Amino acid sequence: MAARSKVDTLEELLAAEARLIAMYEAGLRRGVVPAGVARPILAEEREHARALERELAGGGSRNPRASVPSPALTAALRDADSFARFALDMETEMRAAYVDAAATIGDAELRRGLGSILACESAHVVALRNSLGERPLVD
Amino acid sequence: MPPSLTRREALGGAAAALVLASCGGSDPAPAGRARPGSGAALLGSLLALEHAVVAAYRACEPKLDGDPLREVRAIVDQERGHVTRLQGLIRDLGGDPPHGRSAEEYARTFPLLGSADDALHFADELEQRQVRAYLEALGELPDLSLRGAAAEIAADEGEHLAAVRLMRGLPAAEGPFVTGAL
Repeated sequence: MAARSKVDTLEELLAAEARLIAMYEAGLRRGVVPAGVARPILAEEREHARALERELAGGGSRNPRASVPSPALTAALRDADSFARFALDMETEMRAAYVDAAATIGDAELRRGLGSILACESAHVVALRNSLGERPLVD
Repeated sequence: MPPSLTRREALGGAAAALVLASCGGSDPAPAGRARPGSGAALLGSLLALEHAVVAAYRACEPKLDGDPLREVRAIVDQERGHVTRLQGLIRDLGGDPPHGRSAEEYARTFPLLGSADDALHFADELEQRQVRAYLEALGELPDLSLRGAAAEIAADEGEHLAAVRLMRGLPAAEGPFVTGAL
């Protein structure tokens, strides 16, 4: 848990949320993820991004970093199974980022709020495992 | 960032909150040499809640079979892991971790469960209560490593809540901000 500023941490979370949003939008466009799985998750990721943007707007944010589409995403778009496994990896990384942020940020109320997003990201992990036919919990 | 409370939490969640308040959060702080303000007392409350939740899941098991029973047992295994972890953290702070109550004492405080649906509804309330407790702890624990542990366990509890919701035929997430708001 390296020391970073609140703005740095929130910007990194926002950039990661933007990658997730782009991933689900691409998956839906290519038809490699069931809408019933992706649309609720996508809507929640957009809410997370909006909340982070609001928080950054009150904290002297710089412009969010631009990102380019990942080659791994391009590969994952070839079929439903590849996409679901890629999305599961991405959501697992996202959750780890929120675990880190919810512990390290100095503002106690913000830590609680990030924790509520963390719990939602956990639900996404479970939803994606379920979509892959796996058990919801890993032993 | 005002916390939000859904109507469902206000109504349905109240039952579990009442039950678990009587067997978790009101238990005494850990005895021993833990320094005031170290977080040991808060960890003791979380541990008391975990003990109560393990007992509550045991009360649910007779109403379940098949996949739901298997998943509930997997949840209980993870909750026991949380118990062990919290005990270690409290001892590291110089405290004596609180013990759980007897199964009979817990059972007196639980609602009557007449069906699998009742059991899963109760499990849903238990997990919401746990997520809320760990999010509160994230705000209050003084030490970064303790908050890291609380965040990791909160992630597990979020998975448990989602798994229970799927078993109830609900979407995995109850919304973008589980039991809270940003």
